[in-house]
Amino acid sequence: MTTSSLPPSVIATLPGGYYTHENIFALEQARIFESMWFCVVRAADLAKPGAFRTVQVGRESVLVTRARDQSIRAFLNVCRHRGARIKTEESGEVRRAFQCPYHAWTYDLEGKLIAAPNLTKMPDIDRVEYGLVNVHVREWLGYVWVCLADEPEPFEEEVQGQVVSRLGDLDSIHNYGIESLEVARRIVYDVKANWKLIIENFMECYHCATIHPELVEVLPEFAEGLATQLYVGHGAEFGEGVEGFTVDGSPGADRIPGVSETQDRRYYGLTVRPLMFINLVPDHVVIHRIFPLAADHTVLECDWLFRADVVRSGRDLEPSIELFHRVNVQDFEACERCQPAMNSRAYARGGVLVPTEHHIAGFHEWVLDRLGTGQLGTGQPT
Amino acid sequence: MIPACPLAALPRGEAFRLDAVEPPIAVFHTDDGELYAVDDTCTHQDASLADGWLEGCEVECPLHASRFDLRTGQVDAPPAKLPVRTHGVVVEEGTVYVVPSGEAA
Repeated sequence: MTTSSLPPSVIATLPGGYYTHENIFALEQARIFESMWFCVVRAADLAKPGAFRTVQVGRESVLVTRARDQSIRAFLNVCRHRGARIKTEESGEVRRAFQCPYHAWTYDLEGKLIAAPNLTKMPDIDRVEYGLVNVHVREWLGYVWVCLADEPEPFEEEVQGQVVSRLGDLDSIHNYGIESLEVARRIVYDVKANWKLIIENFMECYHCATIHPELVEVLPEFAEGLATQLYVGHGAEFGEGVEGFTVDGSPGADRIPGVSETQDRRYYGLTVRPLMFINLVPDHVVIHRIFPLAADHTVLECDWLFRADVVRSGRDLEPSIELFHRVNVQDFEACERCQPAMNSRAYARGGVLVPTEHHIAGFHEWVLDRLGTGQLGTGQPT
Repeated sequence: MIPACPLAALPRGEAFRLDAVEPPIAVFHTDDGELYAVDDTCTHQDASLADGWLEGCEVECPLHASRFDLRTGQVDAPPAKLPVRTHGVVVEEGTVYVVPSGEAA
């Protein structure tokens, strides 16, 4: 282990190859993205039966829709006949059924095969057995999670458990009534960086004073570089004279009714593994859904959610939205700055984590544990 | 006159495919309570109209959305070009019977 030769102040990161190698990314797809609960869409985006989204979950395209009974369903986006993609659009709406554009195999909104040319002459084709392949679905906080595992871990442990370990309990997040908020803005970021760089960046604040001047004005304790995520139940307090979580410290929108006194004037950031960030402030919530597409390519969909009456009032929310949009751009530029260097000889054995970043080693251990590749080696992954 | 199914097994909005005859016949129970029977096979490509969507007095083929008028068998929407044959329907003692066209009731 190289760690034995490191000064005590620092801990090794993953070797650079973990951020570039296709074989590592393929393992992550199989053992992380396709094995865990993965937050994919805002439920309200599937407004009525037949509305759909397609999302990339690991190596699979997943078709998420709302059925006649209003429940959310998700299927592998693959025709059971000859394997054509059922839907290539990112979103849309079907009137009554999903039809493969190749031979017109037709599936209802529950995924059952309901028609196909000559199907009545093949009475031995079971219409459920040859229906679209279902994947597990859960709704929480107004979002839809899917899990491609045959037998998912309990959602309560895998997802909600992470929120509890960060905030202390579930009430603390339910206070924000996220399911009843409305999306005021969605920005999609196309980032040329490995997903782990994006997670690691969100987990630490050592960079905050350098790249996030506006954020540090609002949350002065961020200048110290301590990761607030380390302390259970801790939210970073707004600075004196700061009236709202806005780019210029101006007042934000109306507070969300359920937010408690102890949560007022504070920012809480949560990483929900594998691929979600939740940011809570008194008047809005910012949620990142993260879609790794390649070892060096990640797409993030970021939603700004406010009270429905605030969104409908037409009030100018730009100062609120602009703050985290800038933070996003600053963070993703930093990640894109790192990505090309992951292949450098200088980073073959990785870099180091300073004390305010040591907890990131826990993330690395978690990744390695999921991948089953064992202890962090000294060289490139094979 | 060929027995199709018990009326109770064919609620409004549903269809029954009678495959005891060749070619098969589809019986529809409309939302208004009317019963109609037409050839089950779409004249455009082999698909069962009983698997299609019933709207008013029309059925839409599940494959390519051809629409047929159940009263006349005429094509209301392409790609089908040829009509389907219509047949008689009789209900006796709770059973739905089909009277294939050309056959006396």
